[in-house]
Amino acid sequence: MKVSFVGNFGGRPEVVESILGKVTERIEPTVLFDITDSQRLIPALAEAEIVVSHIWKKDFPEAPRLRLLQSPAAGLDLIDLPSLPRGVTVCNVDGHEQAIAEYVLMTMLALSHRLVDIVNGFRDRSSWAGGGAGGGPTHGEILGKTVGIVGYGRIGREVAKRAAAFGCTILAANRSPIADKGAASEIYKLEELDRMLPRCDVVVIAAALGAETRGLVDAGRLALMKPTALLINIGRALIADEKALYTALSDGKIGGAALDVWWRYPTSAEPNARPSNFPFHELPNVLMTPHCSSATDGARDGRLTGIAGNLDRFARGESLINVVMNT
Amino acid sequence: MKALFLGNVAADAAEGIRDELPPGLEVEIVADPQELLRSPQAAAASDILVSNHWRAEYPPMPQVKLVQSVATGIELFDLAALPPGVRVCNAFGHETAIAEYIVMVWLALHHRLIEISGEFRERASWRTSWVESGAPHGEVRGSTLGIVGYGRVGQEVARRAAPFGVRILAANRTARAAQAGVERIFPLTELDRMLPLCDTVALCTALGPETTGLIDARRLRLMKPTAFLINIARGQVIDEDAVYAALREGTIGGAALDVWWQYPNAAEPARRGSRHPFHELPNIIVTPHNSGWTTGMVRRRWDEIADNIGRCVRGESLINLVMTI
Repeated sequence: MKVSFVGNFGGRPEVVESILGKVTERIEPTVLFDITDSQRLIPALAEAEIVVSHIWKKDFPEAPRLRLLQSPAAGLDLIDLPSLPRGVTVCNVDGHEQAIAEYVLMTMLALSHRLVDIVNGFRDRSSWAGGGAGGGPTHGEILGKTVGIVGYGRIGREVAKRAAAFGCTILAANRSPIADKGAASEIYKLEELDRMLPRCDVVVIAAALGAETRGLVDAGRLALMKPTALLINIGRALIADEKALYTALSDGKIGGAALDVWWRYPTSAEPNARPSNFPFHELPNVLMTPHCSSATDGARDGRLTGIAGNLDRFARGESLINVVMNT
Repeated sequence: MKALFLGNVAADAAEGIRDELPPGLEVEIVADPQELLRSPQAAAASDILVSNHWRAEYPPMPQVKLVQSVATGIELFDLAALPPGVRVCNAFGHETAIAEYIVMVWLALHHRLIEISGEFRERASWRTSWVESGAPHGEVRGSTLGIVGYGRVGQEVARRAAPFGVRILAANRTARAAQAGVERIFPLTELDRMLPLCDTVALCTALGPETTGLIDARRLRLMKPTAFLINIARGQVIDEDAVYAALREGTIGGAALDVWWQYPNAAEPARRGSRHPFHELPNIIVTPHNSGWTTGMVRRRWDEIADNIGRCVRGESLINLVMTI
């Protein structure tokens, strides 16, 4: 069985090595990290029954034997689905939702308690301000706060379960109807988002990027939020309007943000690319991380185990897990 | 009746609860305790003292019936200098805030939040990113949390930690029933059996003879080399030299410390919290004794203080009674 591991995630040597270490069936791997290397991309796709990649471009060469496209990511936003050949099963991965839910709770707490500011002041200048010993300003807490989750899928539900234990009220907005509310007390339709936003002390974007969510959090919706509200984005950057969000944060229209997903990503030419055209890194009320909320040891192992399991299932003719669609 | 609010913290409380106090109660605010030495009448005529301390050199309070501490601890009150029969009450409201702090730093230590967010902000380092497949950080799921001191704070921590899919153990001086999600409560005398099982040890005890120096070099060696230590109790629960050495040498994985062995004073307002340079260690989160210092905590304490003053004025039973002198 011929499997091509393609792109800067699926084709990364340590990822391939880890998956191959978990696979039990016999496979013939081809590894291609750089998708711009068309000399090698053409044969890699021409032969493969399975491609492991989080990316599929419109101008990709023919893949006549392809039957399974296994993404090593959850989001399929970099896969141009119309360009895939017919008869392909597209699968993604899970196992990251607990890690991301941990990140959401961590940053919700850290923004409210002003953790980074306080640690830096104490570590760098031995500042006791804002403490029981030095008196001074208090910080916030999340007890009794209202958390609104945009996109009530696996991640959203894990966030809700944890936040409820802190005495938070949980609201959620979702594109499709939700039968089981989980830890949420109210579910809004996504088109009723404007009614949910003004109630929230924390808004968590846990949606996939798609036609209904692209640019969803724009200047108008940011203006609906409380001036003290926190925005946490672990979905995709393009769900928020880049300029509007920067402006809202720098003008104090909202209280702060924790951002793990970005509008710009590093390239081999610019490995330390700033993640936005706007200087989010100069804003004091932003907690920023390099798209690593799911990059835990546990989540990574879960994802790679899931991929290896699907390769084995495919080889044995068994039904696959995490099937998103069939072309 | 008259209430004396003494010191800065009590003065803030007086302003915060003015509308909740019983009508007719006379309120005297002395923010600077030195003022009290110059105007002893404020002490002499007061029935209620609201403060965080009392000293023997202060003028006598012959009429005082209620001493209401603005904090949980009453160690700064010279009780021998107050008349017999006085009831001493304290205030809480901090346990939920501190529990939030513990869960926050427990997550931040595993996810390496301070380090990753710092290097991303300063120099756009993507090395830990998903897209770069960098070295993964940890998560709390599947790990074991050991709570030393299963009182108000410890129970609030357990309640919040349980949905994270972790194993929760606790150790307590006196026997307690375990709430849902807590697998087992060890007697404090069996702490040595709990420590090797824990990926994180959170110290939530009071300071007393059984807990002073509880975490010493020997017990630090009983912990896993990857384990994190969180202290929100009192600095003296941990041996200062031993924990510095353990963190520097990798005997344990890291720590979050909110309480210290030394504190600032007027002469040295930016005094370091220890004689060792904990602030230079990479595997540590340091905060200035403010884990409970939230706006909500202050409001909850003020409400308890106002409630107790009202009870005292109306002759009802008091809440948060610590002792009668």
